Amino acid sequence: MRSKWSLVVALVVLAAVLLSACGGGGGGEANTDIKVGAIFDLTGPTSDVGTPYSEGVRGYVDWLNANGGIDGRKIDLVWADYAYKVDQAEQLYSQFVNEGVVAFQGWGTGDTEALRSKIAADKIPFMSASYSANLLDIQKAPYNFLIGVTYSDQAIIAIQWAIQDWKAAGNEGMPKVALIHHDSPFGESPVADAQAFAQSQGVDFMHIAMPKGATDYVAELAQIQKFGANYVIIHTVSSPAAVLVKDAKNQGLMDKIKFINMNWCADEGFINLAGDAAEGVYGTLPFTPPSDPVPGHEAPAQWLKEHGSSLDDKGLHYVQGWWTMAVMTEGIRRVVEEGKPVTGENIKAALETIKDFDTGGVTAPITFTPESHRGSTALRIYMVKDGKWTRVTDYISAP
Amino acid sequence: MVSGIFHTSYESDMALRRTPAQKIRLALFILFILVFPFFASRYTLTLANQVAIATIGAIGLNILTGYTGQISLGQGGFMAVGAYTAGLVTVRLGLPWWLSIIIASLVTAAVGALFGIPSLRLKGLYLAIATLAAQEIILWVVTHWKALTGGVEALVVPDPMLFGIRINSDFNFYWLAWGLVGITALMTVNLFRTHYGRAFIAIRDQDIAAEVMGINLFRYKLLAFALSSFFVGLSGALIAHYRSIVTWERFTIDVSVLYLAMIIIGGLGSVSGSLFGATFMTLLPAVLNNLGRSLRGVFPQITSIMPFIQQATFGLVIILFLILEPEGIKKLWEDIKDYFRLWPFSY
Repeated sequence: MRSKWSLVVALVVLAAVLLSACGGGGGGEANTDIKVGAIFDLTGPTSDVGTPYSEGVRGYVDWLNANGGIDGRKIDLVWADYAYKVDQAEQLYSQFVNEGVVAFQGWGTGDTEALRSKIAADKIPFMSASYSANLLDIQKAPYNFLIGVTYSDQAIIAIQWAIQDWKAAGNEGMPKVALIHHDSPFGESPVADAQAFAQSQGVDFMHIAMPKGATDYVAELAQIQKFGANYVIIHTVSSPAAVLVKDAKNQGLMDKIKFINMNWCADEGFINLAGDAAEGVYGTLPFTPPSDPVPGHEAPAQWLKEHGSSLDDKGLHYVQGWWTMAVMTEGIRRVVEEGKPVTGENIKAALETIKDFDTGGVTAPITFTPESHRGSTALRIYMVKDGKWTRVTDYISAP
Repeated sequence: MVSGIFHTSYESDMALRRTPAQKIRLALFILFILVFPFFASRYTLTLANQVAIATIGAIGLNILTGYTGQISLGQGGFMAVGAYTAGLVTVRLGLPWWLSIIIASLVTAAVGALFGIPSLRLKGLYLAIATLAAQEIILWVVTHWKALTGGVEALVVPDPMLFGIRINSDFNFYWLAWGLVGITALMTVNLFRTHYGRAFIAIRDQDIAAEVMGINLFRYKLLAFALSSFFVGLSGALIAHYRSIVTWERFTIDVSVLYLAMIIIGGLGSVSGSLFGATFMTLLPAVLNNLGRSLRGVFPQITSIMPFIQQATFGLVIILFLILEPEGIKKLWEDIKDYFRLWPFSY
């Protein structure tokens, strides 16, 4: 009996492997659809923000195709979940390149870093939701394009604003600024640049990593208090940031210290988790949230409404995904309009001609050049007021 | 009509391949490996290369856990040592890639032996925790020793070249990776025909008895750690040169658990089991992904939950496998062979 069972299992496995082999080779040829690859985190550690982002990217493609595509040519978005695993990202990347994608949408810092040599060799323009300044090195990462303001620039803008705010309140001298960050490449990314900028401005600066898996940040807050920080920049994801400000509120620090969240913790999720403690927290938001309506929200809001949902439900990261895909599509559109073949190399060249591209107020105008793939350097500061991100300043540019 | 395999001479009993059928199967397998890349797409080549790297790593872990009985949760850390050594030696010292791979394997062997020292006092779950510490310590050092490793930033490794050919294209790398799989497998199979290998197995089966028989436990346990880490370091070094970029995120605790799963599912204490396990654990997510993608077209309404179904299926398949065949794919393979060999009288 036993060996019979074994045989059945073996046959099932064999069939599955064969099926997958067929699936890999089944890509259609000679149609006019433009294939774009994408990997999302839908089941991994960052799936809480990865899911709405992925819906935004997919939503934009569906919307575009429903509205005639690019000059009648549709975008065929080839996507899969990679659960934030680098190996999976590599498998999917080579699978999608094999199927003929000409551009790629990634997600996190891990996969973007791991793939950057390959995408340069394959000449596949790549955009992701990782805004690490490492990706700006045009020699090492010639095919990476950044839409959002880099983490370094966000931290610098936050320090700049802190100095202004400090002086506007009639204080003498310079404020003290602390940066508390996620313990990862993502978290470390802005530290060196922020420190250099703070020093150049004569601002006292400290930085501290948030220990992994911590259930409270009382010890870190004690260190920040000892340092005497007036402004604390938080660079992590929503849930630890919420825990941090709750701890700060319990200790009565909210009056003494102003907290500034960077983009991955300045979202609706943070407000939901932190509740009352979120009130009065500032944020550097490169993407305009739905709570501050701009023309760039209209198309996604309309599209979601037609499909039984709403932009308020999906939130900021949906807008982020939507417009990241929109900028990539603009590059493809320029290639198509010039009548050139749609290849990764041509899309890169076309993206590099984008100057002051208007995202309907969702981001500062986007500009790429052959020397710089730093899409935008300006953002607005927001503050949580009555449970909503509310605009405080106009665009502030990093120097 | 045969009722089993019986050897009539010591020579045939001790041979590496003991029956004509085994020889034919091996020849067919090697032929397949040689012919495969000429028909494979780039995607399947990527998968094949990932399988090759995983196989070397799994054989390494199997030497330690499967053959010597020393459980290790430090696999990811040791792979990181291999990858970072290979990368740093190439970038900082400008040594050729092939030399960097050898150095990386040797350095990893030394680091493995160092972290193997607690194994003299610790067994089972306690050793698992001690090797888990190795995993965490190595990753902590890698991410915090900025002057050496560049900290959390990715280390970019130049493309490996040989006579003007780029080795890390999927097609070229295939030959390097599978060639090394062949060498690793041959060395490991032969290792367990020597007195070193027998000592390892004796330690696994009953360490006190082994010591009574005159096996120096300290020496052989450290040797097992070093040999195991040598191959684990080799697989790490291959990753560095294949991907041309080393990031610490690739070597987390998940990797250690994944490799343990590979050798348990493939078959503990077996080289072919390592190959089966590595193949299975590398291809299963890819298979599920492709099934998921094709099902998306058939049932568009479940698109949003498909990734979760895939994850659940992944776990389910592994559980089913362990229930139906707790000794791994290797045992399954043997059952299949027996079924045909003994047909129609399979008592």
